[in-house]
Amino acid sequence: MVNPTRRHFILWDRPLLTQAAVWLADSWTGGAPLDLSRVLVVVPTRQSGRRLREALAEHAAARGQATFPPRVVTPETFLTFEATDGTASRLESLLAWTGVLCDIDAAEFGDVFPAGSQAGNAAGALRLAQEFMRLQSLLAEGGLRFADVAAQVGSDFPDTARWRQLATLEELFDDALLAHELRDAQAAKIAAARSAAVAERYDRVVLLGTPDPLPLALEALAAHASAQPIEVVIFAPITESENFDEWGRPLAAAWEHRQLGLDEFERRVHLCADPAAQAERAAALARGYGEPDGLLALGVADAEVLPLLESGLARAGVAAFNPEGRPRRSDQLYHLLATLAAIAREPAFDAVEALARCPDFLAWLHARLGAGFSSARFLSELDDLRAEHLPATLAEARRHTGSPALALVAELRDMLTGGEFPANAAAALGEIFAARQLDLAREADAQLHESAGAWTEVLRECAAARARFPGPDDAGWWELALRLFGDGARTEEKPAGALELQGWLELLFEDAPHLAVAGFNDGSVPDAVVGDAFLPESLRARLGLKTNAARFARDAYLLQAIAASRARLDLLFGKTSAVGDPLRPSRLLLQCADAELPTRIEFLFAAPELAAPNPPWTRAWPLVPRRAPPPAKVAVTALKAWLACPFRFYLRTVLRMEAVDPAKSELDALDFGTLCHAALEAMGREVALRDCTDAAVLREFLLGELAQQVRARFGDNLTLPLVIQVESARQRLTHVAEVQARERAAGWVIADVEKKFAVEIAGLVVSGKIDRIDRHAETGAVRLLDYKTSDSPVTPASAHLRAPRCDETPPEWSVVVVDGKARVWADLQLPLYRHALAAELGGDVECGYFNLPKAVGDTGLALWDKFTEELQASALRAATGLCAAIRAGEFWPPGAHVDEERDEFAALFHRRVEDSVNFGGAAP
Amino acid sequence: MRPLRHEMILASAGSGKTFALTDRFVALLARGAKPERIVALTFTRKAAGEFFDEILKKLADAAREADAAGRLAGRIGAPQLGSGDFLAMLRRVTDAMHRLRLGTLDSFFAQVVRAFPLELGLTGDFEILQEHAARLERQRVLRRMFARAGGLAPAQQEFIEAFKRATFGREEKRLGAQLDGFLDDYQETFLAAPSVELWGNPARIWPDGCAWLEPQGRLADAVAALVASLAGRDLSDGQRRRWGDFFAALPEWAPGMELPKPLEYVLKNALAVWPALQAGRAEMTVERKKLVLAPDECAALARIVTEVVGAELRRRLETTRGIFAVLCGYEAVYHDAVRRTGKLTFADVQRLLAPAAGAPLLAQQSDDCEGRLMIDYRLDAEIDHWLLDEFQDTSFGQWSVLRNLIDEAVQDAEGRRSFFCVGDVKQAVYAWREGDPQLFRKIFNHYNAAAPGAIIERPLVESWRSGPPLIEMVNTVFGARETLARLFPGEASAAWNRVWLAHTTAVPERGGQAALLHADDEAGCWAVALRLLREIRPLERGLTCAVLVRRNDTATALADFLRREGGLPAVAESDLHVCIDNPLGAALLALVQAAAHPGDTLAWEHLRMMPLGAVLAAEELSFPERLTERVLEQIHAEGFERTAEWWLAKLEPRLAVDDVFSRVRARQFAAAAGLFDATGSRDAAEFSAFMARHTVRDAESAAVVRVMTIHKAKGLGFDVVLLPDLEGNTLEERRKGLAVQRAADRAVEWVLDLPPGLFREQDAVLAAHVGAARAAACYENLSLLYVAMTRAIRGMYLIAKPAGKSASANYPRMLADTLGGERRPVRVGALELPGAWTAGDPDWYAALTRAEPVSEETDARAIAPVAGLEHAPRRQARRPSEEKTGVLAAAQLFALEGGGAADFGTAVHARFAEVEWGSADEVARLAATWADGGPAATEALVCLRAAALADVWTRPAGAARAEVWRERAFEIVLDGAWVTGVFDRVVVARDAAGRAVRATVWDFKTDRVETVEDIAAAVARHAGQLNLYRRVAAVLGGLDANGVVCELVFTRLRRCAAVPEAGAR
Ligand code: SF4
Repeated sequence: MVNPTRRHFILWDRPLLTQAAVWLADSWTGGAPLDLSRVLVVVPTRQSGRRLREALAEHAAARGQATFPPRVVTPETFLTFEATDGTASRLESLLAWTGVLCDIDAAEFGDVFPAGSQAGNAAGALRLAQEFMRLQSLLAEGGLRFADVAAQVGSDFPDTARWRQLATLEELFDDALLAHELRDAQAAKIAAARSAAVAERYDRVVLLGTPDPLPLALEALAAHASAQPIEVVIFAPITESENFDEWGRPLAAAWEHRQLGLDEFERRVHLCADPAAQAERAAALARGYGEPDGLLALGVADAEVLPLLESGLARAGVAAFNPEGRPRRSDQLYHLLATLAAIAREPAFDAVEALARCPDFLAWLHARLGAGFSSARFLSELDDLRAEHLPATLAEARRHTGSPALALVAELRDMLTGGEFPANAAAALGEIFAARQLDLAREADAQLHESAGAWTEVLRECAAARARFPGPDDAGWWELALRLFGDGARTEEKPAGALELQGWLELLFEDAPHLAVAGFNDGSVPDAVVGDAFLPESLRARLGLKTNAARFARDAYLLQAIAASRARLDLLFGKTSAVGDPLRPSRLLLQCADAELPTRIEFLFAAPELAAPNPPWTRAWPLVPRRAPPPAKVAVTALKAWLACPFRFYLRTVLRMEAVDPAKSELDALDFGTLCHAALEAMGREVALRDCTDAAVLREFLLGELAQQVRARFGDNLTLPLVIQVESARQRLTHVAEVQARERAAGWVIADVEKKFAVEIAGLVVSGKIDRIDRHAETGAVRLLDYKTSDSPVTPASAHLRAPRCDETPPEWSVVVVDGKARVWADLQLPLYRHALAAELGGDVECGYFNLPKAVGDTGLALWDKFTEELQASALRAATGLCAAIRAGEFWPPGAHVDEERDEFAALFHRRVEDSVNFGGAAP
Repeated sequence: MRPLRHEMILASAGSGKTFALTDRFVALLARGAKPERIVALTFTRKAAGEFFDEILKKLADAAREADAAGRLAGRIGAPQLGSGDFLAMLRRVTDAMHRLRLGTLDSFFAQVVRAFPLELGLTGDFEILQEHAARLERQRVLRRMFARAGGLAPAQQEFIEAFKRATFGREEKRLGAQLDGFLDDYQETFLAAPSVELWGNPARIWPDGCAWLEPQGRLADAVAALVASLAGRDLSDGQRRRWGDFFAALPEWAPGMELPKPLEYVLKNALAVWPALQAGRAEMTVERKKLVLAPDECAALARIVTEVVGAELRRRLETTRGIFAVLCGYEAVYHDAVRRTGKLTFADVQRLLAPAAGAPLLAQQSDDCEGRLMIDYRLDAEIDHWLLDEFQDTSFGQWSVLRNLIDEAVQDAEGRRSFFCVGDVKQAVYAWREGDPQLFRKIFNHYNAAAPGAIIERPLVESWRSGPPLIEMVNTVFGARETLARLFPGEASAAWNRVWLAHTTAVPERGGQAALLHADDEAGCWAVALRLLREIRPLERGLTCAVLVRRNDTATALADFLRREGGLPAVAESDLHVCIDNPLGAALLALVQAAAHPGDTLAWEHLRMMPLGAVLAAEELSFPERLTERVLEQIHAEGFERTAEWWLAKLEPRLAVDDVFSRVRARQFAAAAGLFDATGSRDAAEFSAFMARHTVRDAESAAVVRVMTIHKAKGLGFDVVLLPDLEGNTLEERRKGLAVQRAADRAVEWVLDLPPGLFREQDAVLAAHVGAARAAACYENLSLLYVAMTRAIRGMYLIAKPAGKSASANYPRMLADTLGGERRPVRVGALELPGAWTAGDPDWYAALTRAEPVSEETDARAIAPVAGLEHAPRRQARRPSEEKTGVLAAAQLFALEGGGAADFGTAVHARFAEVEWGSADEVARLAATWADGGPAATEALVCLRAAALADVWTRPAGAARAEVWRERAFEIVLDGAWVTGVFDRVVVARDAAGRAVRATVWDFKTDRVETVEDIAAAVARHAGQLNLYRRVAAVLGGLDANGVVCELVFTRLRRCAAVPEAGAR
């Protein structure tokens, strides 16, 4: 057979690009357009194709002309541009595979599924399907399908039986497609490569600077070469001709031990601690050039470095551009779609909350509800709903509000679930964007335009596939469609002057005289595959697929060609990855004379330079809270807060600072108390129970009340935490019933509940509600009770008085001596109850707590024994001092003993509270 | 060459563990082993990296210098080798770099699992869950478990029941928090012992039965009997009160509750004389007086005590099973929702391979044996040699995965394969992570029992790190066998003494000082540390220095103290919460919260308190409505990182000029936001949670005092080490949590929620368990101090409280009893400090001064740009057809049917491209070929026949020759931009000489254009594009621009419209 190729060599003493353009245009005289339209050029990547066409245009422009460009393709696109109708889309293949995997009896394929079927659930089948498709596409690079592997592995390979069964599975897959007159895309690609139809339209076929073409592409090219040999352009001096095969591929044997010429090694190779250090170094290089574009080019061999490099360059003021584009997962539209998918799957309240925070959705609400609608109010309303009712679903939430916005969510949900996917999805989006006009001159609008186009394409693909394959349910379809969309990339035009961040394989076509490559680590360059579940190295070698040795040869050649063809090449490599994995420099850096190797090792494996120590902690600024006038009225319960910390009292009571807990999923202590209180209040008000001493009756009543409260507030379908919490409340109330029965039997009658009062002390109105007032049927004695639902029982004395701390001087009014020991008032609640009702009830009144703790055995009364009039007087004095302080605006210094774990304001403070806040000056 | 044996090395601290391991690697190479056939595994990624570097450097040195080569050759028992041989080995290693298996156990296991997904029950590749992702998954799983639709599902009912059992009598209000706690505390235990059989099962705990659990008859009878009997006794008032309180408290108590004092009192005293009580003759102390109990009183009391203890035990058993059931319920959902979808933790990976869990055996040969994973084929790895590092930290689980492979190596008959491990059982400080110091001995015995002498053991006791005074201190403390035996009686000291060997130093000339100093409290200890640092000034002398503490937060606080009070560059090598530990980060988080939750008045008011408030005012964003819309828009359009950067830029001018710290934090915040963006989420609450948890370890930096935990210091050495955090807690404190009893083979035997001390002391099984657990804890604490005390190279200063009279077996006591408790001043340079012991030279550092710093690498030069380079210009790319302007309705973008329009347009264009000239014959021919061409063909045909469009298809009149370009791509450099496009149809008229005389550019528009106004609008819209085409056609045709006519062809209306030349209108 005649040699299918004719090789040409282009010297690597200058960049390839312009030389290639000149070479392609060699017979052009310049009088007419440079017409290469009957030339097919195969280049390694899309980007190199772009660069080539640009160089040709430049070449023509130098003589005032333009080009009719050649057809420029990559080996992959070259194989697929003839794809015909009847080829299954990716989605269709995925569905066909999934169907096959769900239908088979895994036991019959014991060599593929030794651990039994993993396709048990839909997600598993889908993942397996993807795995098989990955495998098919890998094999197709060499023109192989599963059956070919089964035929070629031979019995000396351990996996022969498995491949045979895989081949059977692939047949089933083919049949599944065939049933819909479809054909697997990889199979189609292989067939197309073998049917010579492409080259006829071209006078010349050129394989240009492509050291690593797919074997299948070569097969196709060879088929076309019958008429005319393929011209293979190798970027290397002709003296190197022995080191390449007929297709211009570097020969593994020739490059394996080849010494690579790298000038000024120790000045041009840079060891950096981590990706951030690499990014910094690269940015410093770029900054050195005023306008780096064209002079300096950046290559990124390790994708992990890329995002850091982008932000590093941005910080350094260098505009950078990633020609690979951005994943659609970062599109604004993607996130809207994801929340819509969640709503469509299940109308859960948290899905509603997520949707409500999508700007496009809010814009729709605006459009539908008119100027009266406020996003902020709507979001607050949702937060309130959660705080108050913990709704699990949209429907539950709507029981508590007539919010028109939520009604619209419901309408949208109906739209999303009515009919079939994707029509319902398209309709819903049409509705959301119904009122929007896009001005394509605006970047955001242009982006939406572009995203929407891509999404709609996905939906069309889904519609087509769904017509053939039933596929999953609507939720599954959403997921598939989202994944297809998210996996896509959004490419943009390069902004003028921006520095391109190119992958390693692009660099052969880069013509900047100064090139820097970051991420020059082993595993990235040379690229190597280790430990594949299906195609280990030994099998890849057997099948003629790309081996690690071939990858090495390619990358060694690339480095040599790149280094030789420009003024300067800098190589940056990291010592560790972003997450701290140790990295090694590229092996290519060790392709030197043996004598030099130890020196290189010493240089490349030295410890990276240590960073300068971080600066000591400093405070960016102190907080300066606004000064609001002191309150004229406070709740009695707030006094305790002042006593604990006047400043936090100010924040909470005066500035009314209150946090929203977006993750609230169960009752908090307050909710829990409120629920119990409500039942207890009802019991107190129930005249029929006044004299009841039957614990069972009381229990029934309390539990009934509780159930009613719970239903009203949280609906019927309580989430598990609520079920358990309500159960806890039931237990506590059950024990209350027993205690209550005993107390009544002992003569105590409930005289009043939730009794309101307000007293003025030192110019401050203190108000409150007394949970319960008992009067003894015989003695007429009175006691004031406060229900406590905290987890452990408390006694009034310990809650109201505390020991002074060694580092404090409490205000004189707050100190009292009890049993010869100094005590400080920590709360004034019960004494103030007594004070407030003194006129009404007289002086001799007991007070205390009715505890409903978590250890229900401890349920019961904790009266303040040893409460004396002296204490009462002291409490009143303390109250006077305290109220005067509040009226005088004394909210500083902060209390020193607030538990940070429980401090709701902890986020405001860094290190000491006193230093965090600047609370100087007098109150207004 | 000496053949290599299987070897286990017991290396003391500083004796060159890595050195031994790397020597072994070289020794294997020297004997012809292929580097890729050697597996070397360690625990941390850092150690793995260093290990590799060490091998290369060792070989490089030997390759370069004959002396080094000679030494290395000697050490590896191959004296004939020279530099050339080592160079060849170096080449072999570097050539195989990508195939080497030097790494962590975790990554090795992950590689194996990756190669055998289907064999191990996975459906393909998997991702390793990082901490944040794992938390999110947990929340997701919990939400799924908690959700309700209609009635409670049976599984949920079961779960509630289990939960109640698990929290008996102390039911909790907060399920979420409680469950989170359960999972944190117990999940690993559950996964290690996932069988209900093992949890709270009395038959496993007490295989011989448990007397406490035997039925006792009616408690009331015993109580009544005892009450009656005691009533007749002559008791003191105090005694009577004790008994009275006891009988009163008894019915109040329920198992699981804390014991009421009166109950505890009698119970304790009764248990103190338990055997006698059972024997029926007990003398029991009540109220400081002996009370002789009669036989029936003994019997009654014994019954009561047994009943109480039994009830408590039963409850604990029940609780334990409840905890199991709760975890089981969670796990079932988790497994389905997380692991099955390919998200695994490293622990999951290891468990997948655990043979106990039914995984196939790891093996190298396929052999005959079914169910083996052939890692040599799939991993392209035929492993001949095993090197394991830090063996004391290996867990039973890890070992059971490796065992099969290593068995094969150890038993290899031909001796081609080998096993080597190195560890220091005195540095076993990872027992809480399942590291198992006993494994070393067990394995050694196991192999040697099968084949005596199979493995040799080699101790390394010579320290290459510490000088003589330091070694003296270490030997004095840890070699004090009797003292240790007295302080920590039983297995703790016995285990230690068994493994202890006196240390020696390999660097006898290395000067230095070791000392025990005293201070009265923590503040005092810190102050002494500061004084020492000020005196020694290690950094100025070029010495490395570390301050070791026990906990991370102590490290942070102490580093702060040293910086603040001492002005020292101290760095806490703990994980810093960089996003929330400063006002700037807090500001940004408040901003996000305020925007996403406008009702959060805390966040809002917070914003107003700081400079961000002024920024908001300047940007007119002080109202919730505005802020919400702006920030949500930013977040959704650009992600959190860019949003954060935008706001940080706004805040930057408000920072003090010299506030470097806040600027560093700003960068860290943005970087963390970038990491969050990578998760793909745009959820504000998730963002805040992520940021709050995000930590950064201060980069290893030059010339700082490093403050870190002892655990982190393991494996490191420093010139000066300070230990100011030796607490006074007893070393024998058992770790909190469930009791997990392990069998001799380290498999879990039983799990129990242990009852409080009183209840278990009289039970042999539980007491034995607790005793062993205490001994293990004590051993671990001894290890910890050993690790700490062996980090120093020259100066080692322990700073502890004086032991005083406390009898607690704690560090101060141990140091006092070993080094000497007598107080005496210790001199360190110019300081005289209270202390008790010292050795070495108090002025050791005086002569040390820092060498002149090496002149800064001229980094600037290395990265300076090259001047005067020639380069091709880079053009802006333009595509006239894609230059979109105008306004359109967004809704139409989502119309599914619209897709046809583009396809239709393409199809019509394709038909037109087939037409050269539209002669009648040609039209007829085309009509025939397009017969089944659908609407596009029909449309094309109508256009061909339309009189109004005749010009498009007709040869230009008067031209000598004419040429048509159809669907013709072009590229051109125009106005400095690189323009690429495609002409639909261009007709060039030429004269007889072939020169172009004029040209017409026809551009087909197939979209819906209905009216004259539409046409005008379309002309306006496409004017830019067509004028560009005009210029291009002019260049390509060699014409003036005014020689080119541009026409839009509207196929639906069958109308043409000329596009006037730019500026001509
Ligand atoms: S906690 Fe308070 S009372 Fe206790 S020692 Fe510290 S300052 Fe004194």
